[in-house]
Amino acid sequence: MLSEIALYGAIETGLIYGLVAFGIYLSFRVLDFPDLTVDGSFPLGAAVAAILIINGVNPWLATGAAILAGMAAGAVTALLNVKLNILNLLASILTMIALYSVNLRIMGRPNVALLGEETVLTPWYDLGMKYHLVPVVLFAIITVVCLFLLWRFMKSETGLAMRATGANARMARAQGIATGAMVVLGVALSNGLVGLAGALFAQSQGAADVTMGVGVIVIGLASLIGGEAMITPSSVFRALLACVVGAILYRLAIAFALNANFMGLQAQDLNLITAVLVTLAIVLPGARNSLVSRLSRNKA
Amino acid sequence: MISASDLKLTFGKGTPLENPALRGMSLTVNQGEFVTVIGSNGAGKSTFLNALAGEVMVDSGTIIVDNQDVTKLPTHKRAHRVARVFQDPLAGTCEGLTIEENLALAIKRGQRRGLGAAVKARYLDQFRSSLSTLKLGLENRLGDKMGLLSGGQRQAVSLLMASLTPSAILLLDEHTAALDPKTADFVLELTQNIIAEQKLTALMVTHSMKQALEVGSRTVMLHQGQVVFDIAGPEREGLEVKDLLGLFEKQRGLEIDDDSLLLG
Repeated sequence: MLSEIALYGAIETGLIYGLVAFGIYLSFRVLDFPDLTVDGSFPLGAAVAAILIINGVNPWLATGAAILAGMAAGAVTALLNVKLNILNLLASILTMIALYSVNLRIMGRPNVALLGEETVLTPWYDLGMKYHLVPVVLFAIITVVCLFLLWRFMKSETGLAMRATGANARMARAQGIATGAMVVLGVALSNGLVGLAGALFAQSQGAADVTMGVGVIVIGLASLIGGEAMITPSSVFRALLACVVGAILYRLAIAFALNANFMGLQAQDLNLITAVLVTLAIVLPGARNSLVSRLSRNKA
Repeated sequence: MISASDLKLTFGKGTPLENPALRGMSLTVNQGEFVTVIGSNGAGKSTFLNALAGEVMVDSGTIIVDNQDVTKLPTHKRAHRVARVFQDPLAGTCEGLTIEENLALAIKRGQRRGLGAAVKARYLDQFRSSLSTLKLGLENRLGDKMGLLSGGQRQAVSLLMASLTPSAILLLDEHTAALDPKTADFVLELTQNIIAEQKLTALMVTHSMKQALEVGSRTVMLHQGQVVFDIAGPEREGLEVKDLLGLFEKQRGLEIDDDSLLLG
């Protein structure tokens, strides 16, 4: 079974990936903009935060800078799409590829260790909580704050305009909404959240690495789709809740799979498990519906 | 008042599919007029409406709305003056948003949108009283998703949304064409009521000559991207479809070969 440390660790990373899932919800679901920039903006956030922290900047300021860096990356993707008419998926791939070089430049080397540095977590260790509980508590607070702010934003005039842009751009324009500006704002916000996730991840893992972004998009999507299968996203609040629940359950599922020795799975099987879980999360809700309709048809 | 002068627009310029949609279209609609626009397929009706709304940019000519030259402005910068209902009943509303959220989008048409709550408590009474004029019971379903409504109901709400805030002109693009006959009659009657009550200036494209004569105060016929005739007032009273055909033939020396116009 899962050890206490593995359990807390899974929840901790789940909360971080919940932020990524918020971002992916914004781009994929709200704006209908398949954005792969996140594979680059996650390590970008980590790199910016790490390099600022080792240069003595306050870790919260460094984390804020990581958010801004992520937003800038998202804005580049959106502008490539809106202003230069590059297909959204391709625009995001271009930014993602470019960010690999940018991240190496920012760090000056492939990875930056944060061992012994002051991070956003440091003061919390002095509060007398269990060592492994500290990141869980702090990240839970951050995630809840982000969820609340995003929920309020989605209900605001601008947020509603953004939802209309993704759902029906022609109607949105007819209502006087600058749809291009909404796409830029939304994709920037999305990647800002992912930059935040990257910054927190680096601080809790003790290092930023240029390859840490590989597959973030798939994990985020897995969390989003899995969460939606669990909690029907019939309102914005439920959709955001689904992101967090999905991300935590996803990490727990991974932790269980890796700890279940009888299955013979090892850490290197992570990406394979991810792909299988995503496939299941996409296929299962549909299979359930067709099963239900088949059963009810047989009855009739 | 809205005034279009000498609008020219060619699609696919320089390609084998080159298609001159507007060839010097001019039309002035005065305050309070309700103009019906007819014309066969390819006459330029929809292109003209799209040009007025800003969805397509004309190659030359000018469009003036309420003394402002809007020729070069994109759709969203004209939206505070130009309201619109689309032909597709699903196009005018967002199905994933609730009825009240759709109305909240419309109440801010063409205005700055901030970070305050989109659906404000003070809007709700206005939404309910507007919806109750439809007599569809929608005033009790403000929180329902738009996607739960039928095409006719959605088109009625689109119409309501277009008239929720003042505009210089209301553009109706064959907005009853995709509905069944009974629903189409209901939406058309609703259109007439709203336009009469709020004294709106409107431009309605229709495919039916009969409808074009029965509704509104002025009828314009388009052909090959130009206005072929424009009748209003006493001249238009008592006119029938066959008189329109006569007018058209006199103007052009042509016979209409589009059956749908004759049968509609």
